[in-house]
Amino acid sequence: MSIQLQEGVNIHVLPTKKYKTIRIVLKFRTPLDKKNITKRALLSSLLETNSKKYNSQTKLRSELANLYGASFGLSVTKKGTMHMLTVGMTVVNEKYLSANENVLQDGIDFLKEILFHPNVTDGKFDEETFNREKENLADYYESIFDDKQAYASLSLQRLYFEDENQKTPSIGTLEDLNDITAASLYEYYQELLAEDCVDIYVLGDVEESEMTEAFRAFPFKARQVPRESIFYTATTHNKLIEEIEQQEVTQAKFNLAYETNVFYQDKNYFAAQIFNGLFGGFPHSKLFMNVREKESLAYYASSTLDTFRGMMTVQTGIDSTKVEQVREIIQLQLIEMQNGNFSDEAIDQTKEMLKNQVLQSEDNPGAVMEKMYTQQLVGSTLTTAEFEQKINEVTKEEIIKIANQVYLKATFFLTGEENK
Amino acid sequence: MEKKHYAQLDETLYTETLDNGLKVTLLPKNDFHKTYSLFTTNYGSIDNSFIPLGKSEKVTVPDGIAHFLEHKMFEKEEGDIFHVFGKYGASANAFTSFTRTSYLFSSTNYVLENVATLLDFVQEPYFTKETVDKEKGIIAQEIQMYDDEPDWRLFFGIVGNMYPHHPIHIDIAGTVESIMEITAEDLYESYHTFYHPSNMNLLVVGKMDPAEMMDWIRQNQAKKEFAPKQEIQRFFPTEKVSDIKAFDSIEMPVNRAKSIVGVKGIEPAPTGREALVLKTTMNLLLTLLFGPTSTNYLQLYDAGIVDDSFSYEFNLDRTFHFVDIGGDAKDPSALSDAVKKILETAPHSPELTSENLTMIKKRMVGKSLQSLNSIEYIANQYSQESYGEASLFDLVPVIESITLSQVKELATQFMVPERMSVFHILPKEAKES
Repeated sequence: MSIQLQEGVNIHVLPTKKYKTIRIVLKFRTPLDKKNITKRALLSSLLETNSKKYNSQTKLRSELANLYGASFGLSVTKKGTMHMLTVGMTVVNEKYLSANENVLQDGIDFLKEILFHPNVTDGKFDEETFNREKENLADYYESIFDDKQAYASLSLQRLYFEDENQKTPSIGTLEDLNDITAASLYEYYQELLAEDCVDIYVLGDVEESEMTEAFRAFPFKARQVPRESIFYTATTHNKLIEEIEQQEVTQAKFNLAYETNVFYQDKNYFAAQIFNGLFGGFPHSKLFMNVREKESLAYYASSTLDTFRGMMTVQTGIDSTKVEQVREIIQLQLIEMQNGNFSDEAIDQTKEMLKNQVLQSEDNPGAVMEKMYTQQLVGSTLTTAEFEQKINEVTKEEIIKIANQVYLKATFFLTGEENK
Repeated sequence: MEKKHYAQLDETLYTETLDNGLKVTLLPKNDFHKTYSLFTTNYGSIDNSFIPLGKSEKVTVPDGIAHFLEHKMFEKEEGDIFHVFGKYGASANAFTSFTRTSYLFSSTNYVLENVATLLDFVQEPYFTKETVDKEKGIIAQEIQMYDDEPDWRLFFGIVGNMYPHHPIHIDIAGTVESIMEITAEDLYESYHTFYHPSNMNLLVVGKMDPAEMMDWIRQNQAKKEFAPKQEIQRFFPTEKVSDIKAFDSIEMPVNRAKSIVGVKGIEPAPTGREALVLKTTMNLLLTLLFGPTSTNYLQLYDAGIVDDSFSYEFNLDRTFHFVDIGGDAKDPSALSDAVKKILETAPHSPELTSENLTMIKKRMVGKSLQSLNSIEYIANQYSQESYGEASLFDLVPVIESITLSQVKELATQFMVPERMSVFHILPKEAKES
């Protein structure tokens, strides 16, 4: 059930006795804007570190330890045209504890304290905390370079999109970080609290009325709901952009990005899920079977759909000298899909795998909330049973049609070879 | 079939050891859609020296065989086993550690069929020269992927310092050179020695009827024939405290330096419930000294010596146990010096108070209850660790039973300078700041 606390502030309570814990999530959402992305990432680290009442990390973490090791953290993500700051907390259901304690209400009080009484003096965040977290975030940007597959993915995203907001990683950039001050960040935080859309989710053995009352006490005022669609559909360049970068790596990364023009739960969505499963999503897929199993060229070669930006990416880890062979095999697999060279048995298998995946996600509190949130953003109410039915109804022709509307727009090759 | 009910946690565990020696554990969770099953052999990357089943001479096989076997089990004469699982909507996988190899599936339907597939494919080896050679390219890419991962290199750096002779210092997948030597005959020999049901366990967690499931498994196993059970003889080199290399470092093309401190356990590690007690006591000690609620952590963090990547763990397994502590560092020496100093003065640390211990215990009880939400977590813990009669569900009383003097005693006995080692990863080119 969803209840509006204020305009733009909603609570969704999902009572269940399945878990030994209660999971609380607050999602703050705003249209993606490069000038705010880095501020939001920095806020997520600052708010996690300390607050006015818990003015050191030790005090904050001790409070959580005393709440029977409650998990607490903030993170930033983006989806289509939106950026989200997520605050998450998991507390143990009191009935499994020997002691008689009110862990849930104490946890909610803790969240309120953290969000509304941050470590601020004279209109700016505590300078020492601010400087430390700013430095740590700068170090984190540096460390992404050390994770080669993550680096390759971000590079591919930069090539694929023309829009600066879409090119920017969800955690922001170093250049934007340099401009932020303790005062400007606090000012932005006030804006976020006043203007972001807020969705609160509570999942566990709880009473809906109690939770609604508990969160009514959070001083959120009414705010406007952004009207724009969450889908990013702007057409970008039409030529293939290819980039090669040389670094001292043992294994090369060859990543490809395709435009699909398929969006979350639109009429093509279900066929596209099966197309992706057959092409590179599962261990029985064409990429896995041909790049890995037949030719022994890679340990991984897989594809992923981004149905909020109408894109599909392929990731591979390969020997530098084999890149042309790998490129040809990948292209050939797409042609095979376009020509309908896949069996009915493989289609059925993919359908079974997808249905299994969706049912399995219902065993994970985080995934259940994420799905509800996504459906709410796109205004869909598709149940699991309806999803299964839609998947069952997909025909071979529809899958072939998807394969024919997919086209390559960018490739990024990270290689250890110097003479490229 | 034995049944044990844990009232406070509201969980019931069913166990049985079959006639062929296979140990079966069932944990029904009927609120869940999913069933997750792990079929595990007590055989991992360190078991490279042994007497093969039915022979009397010791052999030493090429590094990476256990992991190679794991890959090859999925391929059969009639094709890839992923297709059989896929037909029933199940996702399958496998992993190899230092001491275990596990095969798994998770599914929401056709659970009995999937359990049979799991048992049958692991119990029917099929290797040929051709399929073995083909796998070498795939595994070489897997090894090379890890070569570029600084955290993996850091872990093996510190393990190599502590265990220069014991095979734990070798990458689980072996090396590109060692895997090239592996033959189908090697794989069969290792397979027959270590994949005997008496060296294996099967675990099913999730939606099921336990009586029906156990009966299904019994019938599946009764149809198959195995060689008589035989004690497996494995050989490990002996190591002295003086073999520990106090320091080493490598350069990598990374932006961020890394630093890690290891402390090696010297005495033979306990087994059964005692192992659970040791593991829990060590985790309490490390959390008191380095956890996010410690003054030590705050000081290191505020001084810019550690950041969010800082972590600590205690590894206790067949034939080895050690502590490792570290993460990304601006100044790797500052990090390892600070950590060593905290360890060396641990028995008298002001962090070790009964007040702090009470808080950390509360935290640990809560964390362990949270982890019981995850079917995968429960299953992985069960198949990886053996605490005899004690189990994951006994953890809460074990945590509650540990005293401050036990924690201090462990600090005195374990945190000795001669057993410590340091490893650094340094950026290849000094960058201008």
